[in-house]
Amino acid sequence: MLKIKIEKSLGGLVDGSSSDANRESRDAAGGFMLDVAFEVPAGVTILFGASGSGKSLTLKSIAGLVRPDAGLITVGESVLFDSARGINLPIRERRTGFVFQNLALLPHLSAARNVEFAMTDLPKSTRRAHAMSLLENFNVGYVAERRPRYISGGEAQRVALARALAARPKMLLLDEPLSALDEPTKLAIISDLKRINRELRLPVVYVTHSREEAIALGERIVVYERGRVAAIGEPLDVFGSPIASSVARLTSVENIFEGHVTNVTRHAGTMTVALIEGEASCSVDVPLARYEIGERVTIAVRSGDILLATEEPRATSARNALHGEVSSIEERGGYVLVRVACGVVWSVSVTRQAVEELQIVNAARVWLAIKSHSCHLLNTDE
Amino acid sequence: MRNIDWFPLLLSLRVAFIATVLVVVVGVALAWVLARRRFIGREVVDALVTLPLVLPPTVLGYYLLVLLGRRSPVGQAVEWVTGEQLVFTWQAAVAAAAVGALPLMVKTARAAIASVDPEYEDAARTLGRSEWQVFLYVTLPLAARGIIAASMLAFARSLGDFGATLMVAGNIPGRTQTASVAIYDATQVGRDADALILALILSAVAFALLYLTNRLTAQGSR
Repeated sequence: MLKIKIEKSLGGLVDGSSSDANRESRDAAGGFMLDVAFEVPAGVTILFGASGSGKSLTLKSIAGLVRPDAGLITVGESVLFDSARGINLPIRERRTGFVFQNLALLPHLSAARNVEFAMTDLPKSTRRAHAMSLLENFNVGYVAERRPRYISGGEAQRVALARALAARPKMLLLDEPLSALDEPTKLAIISDLKRINRELRLPVVYVTHSREEAIALGERIVVYERGRVAAIGEPLDVFGSPIASSVARLTSVENIFEGHVTNVTRHAGTMTVALIEGEASCSVDVPLARYEIGERVTIAVRSGDILLATEEPRATSARNALHGEVSSIEERGGYVLVRVACGVVWSVSVTRQAVEELQIVNAARVWLAIKSHSCHLLNTDE
Repeated sequence: MRNIDWFPLLLSLRVAFIATVLVVVVGVALAWVLARRRFIGREVVDALVTLPLVLPPTVLGYYLLVLLGRRSPVGQAVEWVTGEQLVFTWQAAVAAAAVGALPLMVKTARAAIASVDPEYEDAARTLGRSEWQVFLYVTLPLAARGIIAASMLAFARSLGDFGATLMVAGNIPGRTQTASVAIYDATQVGRDADALILALILSAVAFALLYLTNRLTAQGSR
């Protein structure tokens, strides 16, 4: 767990050592004040906000590249910065796994030497083998002997990630790492990052102003506004709906259906959507949005947000109760994915214990309960 | 072919070489401090280091005489260690050449170090490297082109020092007479052919060094 509490004021052009800090200070009219506090558990936390909102400054404060005026930064048991006790750990002792926006691969060293450069505590004889295995883990073993200027953007990004991990960091700090990449490369690196995140479970702080990246990667999101935290939560909750459907497909939103609005209940704040898949259809109530009756919409529901019951749910707050038949049961390492046909086929994730206790088998008749606010409207005009 | 005394030229090369080594060590350290550290009086230090570039050689020579002479602590310390006085030795010529070359080294190396993106240095720090390692493995290699160019300029400047050298090292043939001083000597006594040969050699070496320096820095800025 990484815990951050930072206060830092930048007046005009005082700090010339950090161009980002400078840019951010200039954006704010007459000086800039960063005042934030939040926690980063293992997993990806997105720092989201406009440029000049203090995201990069936060990242640099954690890494020790910028010294806060006041605050407390701890990771696990170790204190990186504590103004009250006068502790300010040198950058090299913080092990922060910083990936710079421009990557900062050392231009005079090959990719492999860049990765080796981070292995300060390994004997020199074993560094090359270790560096190669890291590069190959990112599928860029073939660039090992090349210098950064002969490496493409996506490859360089992976080399930078490999180098950051080679230092065996206690966290990863990523400063808009995908901003310079084209769309397919972005998606490939997002899946790399997801894999790293699954394997290492480090606190990852990911700075971006892209909603797509935030939703695709973030388990939590911290929204910055002019140097302050404006919101903290899960990306879909924080952003609300509608969201881009391409994003929903990247994330763990298993249920995405097209349909059309059949009824609008303004006083209840909901509207009814008929979902169609082939011949079959079913209706769900979703949060009210600016749609007319008959308009086409796409909704997305996470498999974990759906309740599975063997009897008709009564007296619950869930607005939607659907009756259907179990069409498949898949073991998914840690949970079970049950597909239920109720007009359209819904994917529901439940625990193995629940499957056993409720005696859910193929072709069993079950009920699904879905809160209308678990139904996210997707933006399809893209 | 006439018998030419090569001693002055060999002495000049030796003096210039040793002076350059000293200037590289001291100059790069100073350049790094001036480029990367902020402290009150930074530009004062820069101006002081640059002063030899514009002062008359006699003024420089006078200060060196005061600094290194028999009555100064430095002069006395050297005499106590070596048993000989420092002024009017070829080692004094090294000191004169080094002081004259230092500004060229510091100015050029400071610019070279300042042009290294500090983000590379920060990246090295986040990867667990100490300040010394950052300097040695990041700053120095990335500024190497400029520093090599600066060293060549320093060598060329050391090779040609006249005024200050004459004042602190004198004009003792076979002991402290460098090439530039020997040229002066030769013209005074009408050995014009000797003067011409030495002058041509010094000019050729200086030209070659300047040409190489330009090539190095031009490639660096490309």
